Amino acid sequence: MRSRKQARQGFVYDALDSVIHERARLSVLTALVTHPKGLGFADVKAMCALTDGNLSRHLQVLKTAKLIEITKDMDNNRPYTFCRITVVGRKRYLEYLAVLEQMIKDVVAGEKAEAAGDAAQLPA
Amino acid sequence: MADLYKALAQIHAIRGQLARGTEFRGYGPETVAATGLLAAAAAVFQSMSLKTPGSSAVGYLAIWITTAALALLVTGFQTVTRTRRVHPGLARQMILAVGESFLPAIMAGGLVTLILLRSAPRELWMLPGLWQIFYGLGIFASCRFVPRQMLAVGAWFLATGALCLTTGTGAHALSAWEMGFPFGIGQLLIAAILKFGYTEMEDDA
Repeated sequence: MRSRKQARQGFVYDALDSVIHERARLSVLTALVTHPKGLGFADVKAMCALTDGNLSRHLQVLKTAKLIEITKDMDNNRPYTFCRITVVGRKRYLEYLAVLEQMIKDVVAGEKAEAAGDAAQLPA
Repeated sequence: MADLYKALAQIHAIRGQLARGTEFRGYGPETVAATGLLAAAAAVFQSMSLKTPGSSAVGYLAIWITTAALALLVTGFQTVTRTRRVHPGLARQMILAVGESFLPAIMAGGLVTLILLRSAPRELWMLPGLWQIFYGLGIFASCRFVPRQMLAVGAWFLATGALCLTTGTGAHALSAWEMGFPFGIGQLLIAAILKFGYTEMEDDA
């Protein structure tokens, strides 16, 4: 349920961070936040069904926003990219999740109120 | 509407997964240490007020059940408030996950106490050992949320419980230090591990 303070504020969801809100970046962050020890580039790519170029671009955006850290190493003479969510990234992801949840609950409450109003207007 | 409920369920599932993979920092070392001192104080009180505990099991149970309830109440209240502070956005899920792993052992201990009281009052001497074993099992079950060193504390309670069951009959039955020593030392060990054992950064919580 929305508090009175929230009701006065209307439907402003400031914490719906535009960096996180993009669909592919949200997938990448969800994959990383549920694997706190980190994931390799290939794992993230498979989990999020993204192409190499697309994933690289989104990882760069997330890194610039300091939401993830990227380390590059060699594994059997092949370059290996490793991604891990940062403390800031985890905190902002949880804030994002809370706002998203509140937004969905607001919509559900609105739909329920509308349905109840419609039912009240029906002739007996 | 179905899509909205599905989205809420997915958010709930993500939170649950996050909670299961996060070290739990909701226990306060100072409070846990205080419960260890409380156990020692209860042992001193028992040794002064119950001269022959083996023949006054009701008094013995009153002392230790009150001590356990007090410790549970203080630790529970402190854990809830601390978890809300150190795990914002995940507090409910983390408390549920930790509770699910630890409380069954505590409930089993309570159930065994009731059964022995009703059906086998001559075997009440076994209670201190059984309580320690159940407590140790609870610690083992919740080890995935706390530093790995906590396994040693689980082993401590299993060992002291086994010792009490082996030697706690006859004249030693329901002796004050069968509870005061294991829980006093054990709780202080837990407090030390909670204070110094975490490997992740404080901000990681």
